[in-house]
Amino acid sequence: MSTVALDTSASTPVSKRHAVRELLGGDKPYGIFIALIALVIFFSLKSDVFLSSANFANIGRQTTLVTIMAVGMTFVIISAEIDLSVASILKLSGVSAALFMSEFANNWVLGALVGLTVGALLGLANGLLVTKLGIPSFLVTLGMLGIAKGLAFVVTDTAPVLVDNTTFWAVFYEGSIAGIPVPILWSIMALVLGGLLLHFSTFGRKVYATGGNSTAASYSGINTARIKICCFVLTGVLAAMASLIFAAQGHASRPDFADGLELDVIAAVILGGTSLFGGRGTIVGTLIGSLIIGVLNNGLVLIGVSSSWQIAVKGLIIILAVALSKRK
Amino acid sequence: MTEPHLLVDMQDITVSFGVVKALKGVSFDLRPGEVHALLGQNGAGKSTLIKVLSGVNERDGGSVLIHGRQTNFRSAQDSRDSGIAMVYQDLSLVPSMSVAANLFLGREPHGPLSFVRSKPLVEAAQAYLDEQGFPIRASAGVASLPFAYRQLTEIAKALMGDIKILVLDEPTSALSAGEEEILFNTVQEVTSRGVGVIYVTHRLQEVFRISDRVTVLRDGLNVGTHNTADITMEKLVSEIVGPGHERMAQATLSIDEGDRRMVISDEFAAAATRRTPVIELKGVQNGRLRGVDLQVRPGEILGLAGMIGSGRTEILETMFGLRQADQGEVLYLGKPVTWRSPRDAITAGVALVPEDRHLEGLVLGDTIAANTALPQLPHLTRAGMFNKGEATRRAKGAVGDLNVKAPGINTRLKNLSGGNQQKVVFGKWLVPEPKLLLLDEPTVGVDVGARDEIYGIIRRFAQKGCAVVVVSSDLVELELLCDTVTVVHDGRATTSVHISEVEGEERLHHLVQESAR
Repeated sequence: MSTVALDTSASTPVSKRHAVRELLGGDKPYGIFIALIALVIFFSLKSDVFLSSANFANIGRQTTLVTIMAVGMTFVIISAEIDLSVASILKLSGVSAALFMSEFANNWVLGALVGLTVGALLGLANGLLVTKLGIPSFLVTLGMLGIAKGLAFVVTDTAPVLVDNTTFWAVFYEGSIAGIPVPILWSIMALVLGGLLLHFSTFGRKVYATGGNSTAASYSGINTARIKICCFVLTGVLAAMASLIFAAQGHASRPDFADGLELDVIAAVILGGTSLFGGRGTIVGTLIGSLIIGVLNNGLVLIGVSSSWQIAVKGLIIILAVALSKRK
Repeated sequence: MTEPHLLVDMQDITVSFGVVKALKGVSFDLRPGEVHALLGQNGAGKSTLIKVLSGVNERDGGSVLIHGRQTNFRSAQDSRDSGIAMVYQDLSLVPSMSVAANLFLGREPHGPLSFVRSKPLVEAAQAYLDEQGFPIRASAGVASLPFAYRQLTEIAKALMGDIKILVLDEPTSALSAGEEEILFNTVQEVTSRGVGVIYVTHRLQEVFRISDRVTVLRDGLNVGTHNTADITMEKLVSEIVGPGHERMAQATLSIDEGDRRMVISDEFAAAATRRTPVIELKGVQNGRLRGVDLQVRPGEILGLAGMIGSGRTEILETMFGLRQADQGEVLYLGKPVTWRSPRDAITAGVALVPEDRHLEGLVLGDTIAANTALPQLPHLTRAGMFNKGEATRRAKGAVGDLNVKAPGINTRLKNLSGGNQQKVVFGKWLVPEPKLLLLDEPTVGVDVGARDEIYGIIRRFAQKGCAVVVVSSDLVELELLCDTVTVVHDGRATTSVHISEVEGEERLHHLVQESAR
């Protein structure tokens, strides 16, 4: 056979349309950044107070909880799982910290540690149930949503638990360094550490591979179950971190707070370009996604849209974002 | 030329995929009540021909007559409507449902308000099964059935309606010897009612066991059609393999390292037998394996031949820590080992190029650099951080060494051709050099040019002292690459031959066919 060895192997050149699509929906979240700018311009035109440094500091503070939890959620979703229980983990770890400080020792470090430990344990439970029993994370975390929320009501007898510790207030909400309020610094810290972990550590590479193709990852010697468990623990810890900030803000932990917050968190991550099917996503994208959620929450109030409508609008945005990402 | 009573009459069929001609004018016919076997190596054109008949592939030229009528199928539904039923290797049953529910899936007899009543459903299904002579209980759950009976259920389902033409694509590949009998009986039962059966297979024994006629394809052309009674196995093998072994000559020429046989079979092989085997299996049993004894020495390339389902892949999986030995021993570099996961095997210096690169080998949505780094992450970590510089350097080295044709190391795998994707799978294991390289069908779906390059890559591993185990259904490939070929059958390593004792691929064919006897 005199068949010349055909070179069918040169890779397909990246077409122009493809390039545009990569730009809008690819790993680099330019499209979503443009959407954020558009929203800012829209609200600036509609409301006089929107475009002010005071309001922007407001947005930053209000977005803190969502941003911090969205960092953890980014890991979970890239590993091709989901965590619906973040808002309930926030409730239970928050009230645990507050109860510890009011009942046992009014020490802000120990209180914070108790909260973070509870968050980590709840995340660990999620991760073990998903990987060891093979239950889909959607169901495990849906169950955990109920369990943690119910327990938060049980241990507090449905009443808010006061936090009477000025250092705690200062460290997690009221203080500021170089004019920047601490809640914003905490979220910057979560973003930077999360970004380092996801994009520059070996662990991050394993998370992408686990979500991208878990069989190929385990054939490459990666313990995919352990990676997924770590992602759930990280999300639990960050939800607990958010609960401390909330407790410092209100000088109390409330079991009735944060209902439905998982919607904002998941929306922020998906808007940021993270694929619900796993294997793709960035921390920068998640930051922009949570800023969009923050700007929407703030702007819709300023132009007089009712909070009921806001919830519906955010649900719509999640579906739109996923629909757009599926069209590739 | 056309006989009026032919069920299928395909004349001069041509099919091209881009510049590659898969079929270059193939003719094939089927008479009522006969079993017509279709033979040929991987890539000979069997599946393409079948897919023309099932409406999956469109032909470029030639004619297809079904029941004497000119047809031009555009979809699988067209084909089905003309009375053709396909049974593929992968089953299409819903395991959690009963046989009856599967048979009537989507066309359940129902009462008012579309409520399906299960009793009439089971009764109708049982009546059909009895009438057609299938030894299956309609109320049984599919998941609880042995594999052969699932396959029968699949065939029963395929035959529902007015079906006159049944296509079976390697139906016995996953069956044990006893289970095959059940299938053969059913095929006889079906043909006795005038149904024509096209039987695609690699097993020549079966051709003589059940077929009336046999057609051999090679390189997209008819080689011959015979009455099975008038032909011998030797003749069939030589038709399947073809004269001259051009591919072998071509591939051998393309190796620039010099005459492999001289190097390996003389000095190298003599030295190799004195070294400790890199891996040795002693009476290993687990799942499908029923007592495997094997050893591979440094620099040696061992080929595992045998049918799909014989246990070839399971041997590799056992050597890679994906399966543990229930009985027997695995010795690595002379010491007994128990690997609990691929991580253990990789740490010890074992590498695997798995059978399905899309499913098991690569993260397709990720870049070349990300993929080549995966198995070596422990070596690419400094204080928990990913050493991107080193990973980039290694990826560039791999792309250069293996001649991967890609714009750069940040190209995503899904944008590469099959051959280049496969080279990237090899690229995962370049640094550090593995001591044992396991290859499962290393050139499936790889174009001819890249295939020769991959052979070169495999030999370079061996020349550096790596022990290599190759599983392949392509016997030319085994003959080209290996020093020793072992035939695997029914979970055991049966015959083992040094390649110098094998005169041509035909001898290998006989060994494989004989082992299945």
